[in-house]
Amino acid sequence: MTATRRRDTAAGWAFLAPSLVGVGGFLLLPVVVVLGISLFRWDLVSPAHWAGLDNYLSILTDPAFGRSLAVTAFFVLLVIPAQTALGLAAAVLLDQRLPGSTVFRAILVLPWISAPLALGVVWRWLLDPSDGAVNQLLGHRVEWLTSPVLALPSVAAVTVWTNVGYVALFFLAGLAGIPPQYAEAARIDGAGPWQRFRRITLPLLRPTMFFVLVTGVISSFQVFDTVYAMTQGGPAGRTEVVAYAIYREAFVDFRMGRAAAMSVVLFLLLITVTVAQQSYFRRRTTYEMG
Amino acid sequence: MKILRRAVPTYLALGLGALVILAPYLMSVQTSVKTPRQFAQQPPLAAPDPVTAANYAELVIGGHTLIPPLVITVQVVLVVVLGQLTCSVLAAYAFARLDFPGRDALFWVYLATLMVPVVAVLVPRFVLLSEAGLVNTFWGIVLPAMFGSPYAIFLLRQFFRAIPQELLDAARIDGAGHRRVLRHVILPLSRPILATLLIITVVTHWNDFLWPLVITSGQRWQVLTVAVAGLQSQYSGNWTLVMAATTLATMPLLVIFVLFQKHIVRSITITGMR
Repeated sequence: MTATRRRDTAAGWAFLAPSLVGVGGFLLLPVVVVLGISLFRWDLVSPAHWAGLDNYLSILTDPAFGRSLAVTAFFVLLVIPAQTALGLAAAVLLDQRLPGSTVFRAILVLPWISAPLALGVVWRWLLDPSDGAVNQLLGHRVEWLTSPVLALPSVAAVTVWTNVGYVALFFLAGLAGIPPQYAEAARIDGAGPWQRFRRITLPLLRPTMFFVLVTGVISSFQVFDTVYAMTQGGPAGRTEVVAYAIYREAFVDFRMGRAAAMSVVLFLLLITVTVAQQSYFRRRTTYEMG
Repeated sequence: MKILRRAVPTYLALGLGALVILAPYLMSVQTSVKTPRQFAQQPPLAAPDPVTAANYAELVIGGHTLIPPLVITVQVVLVVVLGQLTCSVLAAYAFARLDFPGRDALFWVYLATLMVPVVAVLVPRFVLLSEAGLVNTFWGIVLPAMFGSPYAIFLLRQFFRAIPQELLDAARIDGAGHRRVLRHVILPLSRPILATLLIITVVTHWNDFLWPLVITSGQRWQVLTVAVAGLQSQYSGNWTLVMAATTLATMPLLVIFVLFQKHIVRSITITGMR
């Protein structure tokens, strides 16, 4: 028995070795390294200088970083409700399983398997004030990406356009898991379609809702490709989300310490948001059925 | 009759949604077969007249060829997929089917790394690879992803645990070691989850942009997404060429999607990709 166990131990660690390189070297170590870098002033070329908490002080008092946090929060607030509501609506429509609905489902998912960068470039053209198709359709010149007011909502709209099908897939899976007897019973009791949706379907979709919201918030907090392709953070920083700010700080301005400090702040924010969402849903799901 | 009354609004809504999704694709294809001259002189929605393949020719055999980025992208995807699946399968087998001290603690650590956002480790990953002299190299692009992903390991572990112990015992009694059990018992039974992970990994790394953008510079190791971004910033306004480039960059996955639509849709829901 002990010989087997010893052999299992050796085999176990041997099998884990390659993934330890990946998880240790490219996920755990970077977390430690980013904390370290955030304490130095460093441009990648000349020697790094100890800076203590200066980088944190510097970014937290920098109106540009404050703005990029606000831009990110606003972006998430624009994207999440819209993509969740539209995704849910699409799922309810697809769930009627009319002939041809698999074709519609496939079409809705299409943007999800295309590169966000390429889609961003396509939309950058579609929304171009003079050469773009959208303004031609409207018959009216709108500065979608260069107006300080419209730029962020435009980028958010494209993100929603990309994500709706993906979100709908999860709601569709959630809807398929709800036993039809509940709605049937409610109908016999005289509940209308809206009441059945509101009182039965929606509460039973809570686990799906949780998943969709958490993954949605985490990914939209990190949006980069779409912003890079459509606005490069402009006009005047109005679409400079945190991921873009980190990229610019590190790889355009070569201020690695400040970029690392921003990364740490983003990391902490995401953990806080996830934990908050988790406890909110735990409180609200106590009465969930079976 | 009642069914029809409900079906009509549903079809209308779904049709509208499908149109909104498809229109940008169709419009970019339509623009990609126009001459720059026509594009400059006529409204953006005018039909291409004449239809030209010049933009595509320029991107295949012309001065802005996308063939080298295409080759590099294919290589990156191949290496990442092979490496990631192999390493993830090995790790998942250890977590699911072997009993050794430290296993559960380590698994917990792997799970915890699911919380690490990619953007937050961008800077330290770059610094580590630049210390190793791997900036602007092929290995710089693939290394962070090729040693397995905690999420793939987690999914595979769940799947491996559901395989009945008797099957493994039978193989062990016949004298098979862990490697043979894995190859001849576990893997053949795990085809669905492996296919799922294969699809998701291909899509993710074909479309990846931020990491290749950061770790490479110049044309030598440009992947497709980076090349398309470069083309756009270099030739802003030359939209017929740029739309041909976005079409070329998205086309391979669209073709794969049409072929394996059902499987891909299912894969997305199983893994909750991204």
